Amino acid sequence: MSETINNKTIFSLLEVTKSIQKTLAERYKTDFWVKAEMNKLNLYRHSGHCYPELVEKQGEKVVAQIRSVLWKDDYVRINNAFLKILQEPLKDGIKILFLANITFDPVHGLSLRILDIDASYTLGDLEKEKQATIQRLQLEGIFDQNKKRSLPLLPKRIAVISVETSKGYADFIKVIESNNWNYTFFHMLFPSVLQGEKAIPSITRQLASIKKVKQHFDVVAIIRGGGGDVGLSCYNNYILAKEIALFPLPVITGIGHATNLTVSEMISYENAITPTKIAEYLLQKFHNFAVPVQQAQDIIIDESQQLLSDQNIKLRSYTQLFRSVVENKLLYNKSIIKEQIQSIVQQSGFMFKNERSSLLKIIADIQKDAIVFCKTSVLNIESLTERIRSTSTGFLKNNNLEMEHIKKNITNMSPEKVLQRGYSITMFNGKSISNVSDLKTGDEIKTIILTGEINSTVNTIKEKETT
Amino acid sequence: MKEKMDYTEAFEELQTIVAEIEDGEISVDELSEKVKRAALLIKICKAKLTSTEEDVNKILKELDSGADEKE
Repeated sequence: MSETINNKTIFSLLEVTKSIQKTLAERYKTDFWVKAEMNKLNLYRHSGHCYPELVEKQGEKVVAQIRSVLWKDDYVRINNAFLKILQEPLKDGIKILFLANITFDPVHGLSLRILDIDASYTLGDLEKEKQATIQRLQLEGIFDQNKKRSLPLLPKRIAVISVETSKGYADFIKVIESNNWNYTFFHMLFPSVLQGEKAIPSITRQLASIKKVKQHFDVVAIIRGGGGDVGLSCYNNYILAKEIALFPLPVITGIGHATNLTVSEMISYENAITPTKIAEYLLQKFHNFAVPVQQAQDIIIDESQQLLSDQNIKLRSYTQLFRSVVENKLLYNKSIIKEQIQSIVQQSGFMFKNERSSLLKIIADIQKDAIVFCKTSVLNIESLTERIRSTSTGFLKNNNLEMEHIKKNITNMSPEKVLQRGYSITMFNGKSISNVSDLKTGDEIKTIILTGEINSTVNTIKEKETT
Repeated sequence: MKEKMDYTEAFEELQTIVAEIEDGEISVDELSEKVKRAALLIKICKAKLTSTEEDVNKILKELDSGADEKE
């Protein structure tokens, strides 16, 4: 009870808090439903009790805030209901509709005791968040962005976002490492939390790392496996989904669950249901490359052999054709030559015969002509002989007459005759003189006359004057 | 060019040769050259399937350096 000191009524702290407790208990007799955002769950692992931080926001501004308690038994029951309906545990940052009453404890103060949480309300809210993310990505025109990236023909360099110890990662590595075709992949792990709220910053950070070295990679694989279908609403988060959508390399998701697709899976380049399926997808890409290469090899071998054998057959048939054509031609020409030979033999026989007979005719002609010619010649000779004879006789007669005449003249000209006519010959030294210059006075000269000789000496010499 | 050839180009060129040979566009004269070329392309493609050139240490170094901001 209160006491009065110096006219002042004074209560103890316990009295006040008990009064508040009593007042509140009388005022709030029944439980009531409240909607709020559970900012923090504040689960104490040791005790199993939770002390959720409840707020109401207008925009980003907190307009109401109150502490609350969720006792261990209530927490376990509600959490199981969440896991069943939402595939999500109770967690930070969700909107909840909860049944509560007001408690006031003199030591711990005012708080709301949470008796129950309506999981379907939160489910609707999460679905709303998912739809909001989809709409926002579509509005920004980046919903299909990652799907438009081009995957290389051989996506062999893989940046893996996963947990090293997870079953999904092990499955994935096993399938791509021990494939039967010796396909070789390069993969590098970028470890990350893969479920729950922490997955958002964790994955985002690793995506940023990969972006830094993206020239070393062809594709990003987000691989989760095991751990059930719990804590996947993070993949509906706008920030994470946007990172994936805008990522410069194709992102393949293998988150491994049986429920509705998350936004991250919808917008990724390719979504595989399980990590093993991602590995198979990549192997299939290799097949798509390897099989045509192998087929190309087979086709090229087959077709070249076919081509060569076709050409061989063609060549052989041409050779045969050529041979038979040539043989025919040779036979034909041989027979023509034979004909020609026969014809030449025949023709030359004829020609010889003709030539011989014309030669014989010519010979006969020549003989005949020669005889005629000879006969004519004999006659000519005879007549010429006769003519010579008669001509020469006359000629001789004439000559004889002329000779007689000449003889007569010669006789008349003889020195005796001349001397008879009174002429003389003067001689000096046995030579007749006709030129006075041959003589000089005193020379003895001989003068011959008809009846003898006179020797005399030269007295004078008188040269006849020349006219 | 022989070793540096991109396997995508090699693959496409190989497909072209296969198409040519299937359509009978290749004469016996060209055959030897084409087959030789195809063999090289097949070798490049097959090598790509079973080898890798990336080095984890190099990538880690680049990640650490942080200076590499190739966007």
